[in-house]
Amino acid sequence: MSGRGLRSPASAAASLLVPLALVALTAALGASGTAAFADTVTLILCNLVVVLGLQVFIGNSGVYSFGQLGFAAGGAYVAALLTMPAIFTVLQTPELPKLIADAELSPLLSTLLAAGATGLLAAVVGWPLMRTSTLAIPISTFAFLIVVYNVLANWDKVTGGSSGLVSIPTTTGIGSAALWSGVAVVVALAFKRSASGYRLQATREDEVAARSIGIGLMRERLLAFTISAMLCAVGGALAVHQSGTLSPKTFYFAASVTTITMLVVGGARSVLGAVVGTLAVATVNELLRNLEEGASVLGLFSIGETPGLAAIGLGLILLVTMVVLPDGLSGGREAGEIGALRRRLHPGLLPSPSAAERAQPLPDPGSAAGLRAEGISLAFSGLRVLKGLELELAPGEALGLIGPNGAGKTTLVNVLSGFQSPDSGNVLLDGAAVTGWSPERLARAGLGRTFQAALPFAGLTVVESIAVGAMGVGVGRRRAVEIAADVLGRLRLGDQAQSPAGLQPPGNQRLLGIARALATGPRYLLLDEPAAGLDDEECGELVAILRGVIEDFGCGVLLIEHDMNVVMDLCSRVQVLDDGETVAVGTPQEVQADPAVVEAYLGTSYAAGAHA
Amino acid sequence: MTDLAQSLIDALALGGLYALIAVGVTLIYTVMGMMNFAQGEFIMLPAYALYVLAGLPFAVAVGAALATGIAIAMLAERVAFRPVRDADLSAQLVTSLAVATILQNVVSASVDARAQSVAAPALVSESSQIGSLSVPNLEILTLALTLAVLFGLGWLLYRTRIGLEMRAAAENFEMARLLGVRANRVIAIAFAISGALAAMVGVLIVMQTGQVSPTMGLTPVLVGFIAVVIGGFGRISGAVVGGLVLGALSSLLGTYLPDGLVPFRDAIVFSLPVAILIVRPQGLLGSAAGEARV
Repeated sequence: MSGRGLRSPASAAASLLVPLALVALTAALGASGTAAFADTVTLILCNLVVVLGLQVFIGNSGVYSFGQLGFAAGGAYVAALLTMPAIFTVLQTPELPKLIADAELSPLLSTLLAAGATGLLAAVVGWPLMRTSTLAIPISTFAFLIVVYNVLANWDKVTGGSSGLVSIPTTTGIGSAALWSGVAVVVALAFKRSASGYRLQATREDEVAARSIGIGLMRERLLAFTISAMLCAVGGALAVHQSGTLSPKTFYFAASVTTITMLVVGGARSVLGAVVGTLAVATVNELLRNLEEGASVLGLFSIGETPGLAAIGLGLILLVTMVVLPDGLSGGREAGEIGALRRRLHPGLLPSPSAAERAQPLPDPGSAAGLRAEGISLAFSGLRVLKGLELELAPGEALGLIGPNGAGKTTLVNVLSGFQSPDSGNVLLDGAAVTGWSPERLARAGLGRTFQAALPFAGLTVVESIAVGAMGVGVGRRRAVEIAADVLGRLRLGDQAQSPAGLQPPGNQRLLGIARALATGPRYLLLDEPAAGLDDEECGELVAILRGVIEDFGCGVLLIEHDMNVVMDLCSRVQVLDDGETVAVGTPQEVQADPAVVEAYLGTSYAAGAHA
Repeated sequence: MTDLAQSLIDALALGGLYALIAVGVTLIYTVMGMMNFAQGEFIMLPAYALYVLAGLPFAVAVGAALATGIAIAMLAERVAFRPVRDADLSAQLVTSLAVATILQNVVSASVDARAQSVAAPALVSESSQIGSLSVPNLEILTLALTLAVLFGLGWLLYRTRIGLEMRAAAENFEMARLLGVRANRVIAIAFAISGALAAMVGVLIVMQTGQVSPTMGLTPVLVGFIAVVIGGFGRISGAVVGGLVLGALSSLLGTYLPDGLVPFRDAIVFSLPVAILIVRPQGLLGSAAGEARV
């Protein structure tokens, strides 16, 4: 594998250089105008830093936080108080600790300290906030914003209260604002392309699938939340040193709406989108504000003073974007991923890995005692779904798990993979008790699984959505790419490497589910109906792929499957479930001849027919 | 003793108001899975109806406020929310944020960005003597209204056909549709009821504070959201419990907090729910089931 990245160098360069060029152009344009125009552009660039901060969390996690402006406020206050001349600080904030009140730091140092302090705050506050559910995060972060406002507005002796602070040194020029914007672009892109960034994007695409490859939701969100807060704090610090005044309202709800509009209009998923959206919305906003001030439009007619016109315009832009263009102006793509450019920059095929790179160490058979389920029982509101089930999967073995619908096959796999806790019974992974472990912990311990639905990471490319499987269990980015290339080769999906996973045909998406589980390097792989929807030829290929996996990696495969040909071809042993109990275990031939098995299938289907 | 009884009644009244807000938020969440930011503006606009119609008889103004709440909720649903009905939660949330911004600033632009005062009728600003307690009539009205609304909703949801359809749609929207539930109608009715509830809340808030402002919906909508979260998403009963807990907490803190901390009451009230969520991420009444959808 020659390329170190998941994207070609040309594409990565374009994705970085285009937004940087936009920032530089904006700054040059601002610097060439009047002083007032330069000030406006400087503030827009400060805004851009905040919006890029939002992108890091919202864009990668897909979860909206309204709290980031609280961090911008925090950064602004810290930076302001650290740079204000002591004589002003004492007057406005009499109870501020002397060390801070006396400090008259340089703009750069105060900005860095603001980012550091706010990052610490974000890590502490984010710990409980990120524990709340995906549904609750927008609300709990909104609550955080109000808490910040409430404290800033009422802690008069330390923050200056609701009237705010004045006489703050105005040190932010268009150059420093542009420089920091550039830094923010680099940070946001670097995070997006880091292993942690990919893991977070996987949770955005599908939480359940992400957990199944070892990704801890809270941990990934907290890291992005903290980085995001630090960028927002830098934006706040820059802005306050541009305007020279600060009040609790500066970074409150209205600013939240403005910055979120900028991000959404540009397309939250991409850094390019954050830049384009900020510039586009800021331009419209400035035009509307000029209207509000009663300027005449092209000298044809004049509009009186209309408070709120700019905000109405903002709301309308946001609404129209959501309805007409939900992925924003950028379509959620980086510059190197857009249309014709993309085709020119991306090589069609990933180089196939060498044989040496493919070789994987086989697990030591001595330590591998197998995956065991002992006396697993589970009831859903009184209905007993699993009744003291036993199961044993040896390393390197392929075990078929069959039975009529509702027999409890998927529920058993959910118990084995940690998605469902059993009421009683134990799960042992190579001799260690793992009952009640979370899915992500089990995945990192060597348990891979797929789902009946493909659950693709639709917004990632094919190769990314496989590599993220390896990253999920803690493999570094570079090695993850090599593993993905190997898996792609096995699954003969190499020519699709750079296309979006969400646009693959259903058969391929199913294979991708297996591929990302394989990329975690599982010792045991649980497959829930992998052949569903595949034609005969594809089934044959699937069997060949799985056979290769078992031989090369020595991993045990548990296969839930209705297609008996696939089961007979692949499995050395078959376990038959019916109504939460094991009806038969044995070789495929033994099981097929077992009268209890025949009855389980025919009997229940007759019974169901009679009731229908 | 009377002090305690007095603060308990205050707590219950504020809890009732918050429960009304939370139920309005939950109704929309159950039928279309959307957390509706614009619920605050569904509260604010009817309040402005009272302000605009201040010269008319109070009953007429209240009637107009209710009509405003219902109309604006149904209009927002038809124009803004129907196109994003199948979008994900985040997209719906942002859409509702857009609607909230537009409505708020339309009022800013057409009336004034600053707060305006509205006189409440004498009857609701007086108090009644109950034993040794002097209970503000507004609190009695709030409690009576809360009870009436809850019983009315209970009857509607569990005793009528449209209620059955709403519950079915809440359970499984696509399936309910296949079985003949008219989605547009069910959602429109949910919005109408939610708008009416918001209007009642708006009227109660105006009578309590004596003023209206374009941003007056912001705190109520957050209160509603948090009540829904701590009660457990998508349950009317959870919303009621969440509202009562939050209202009682806020009211009691207002009474018993040391003077120096009173200004930070909101900060404390809005922090505690997060503490609840750390212990019970699924909310007070929510069940752990449904977390894993595999």
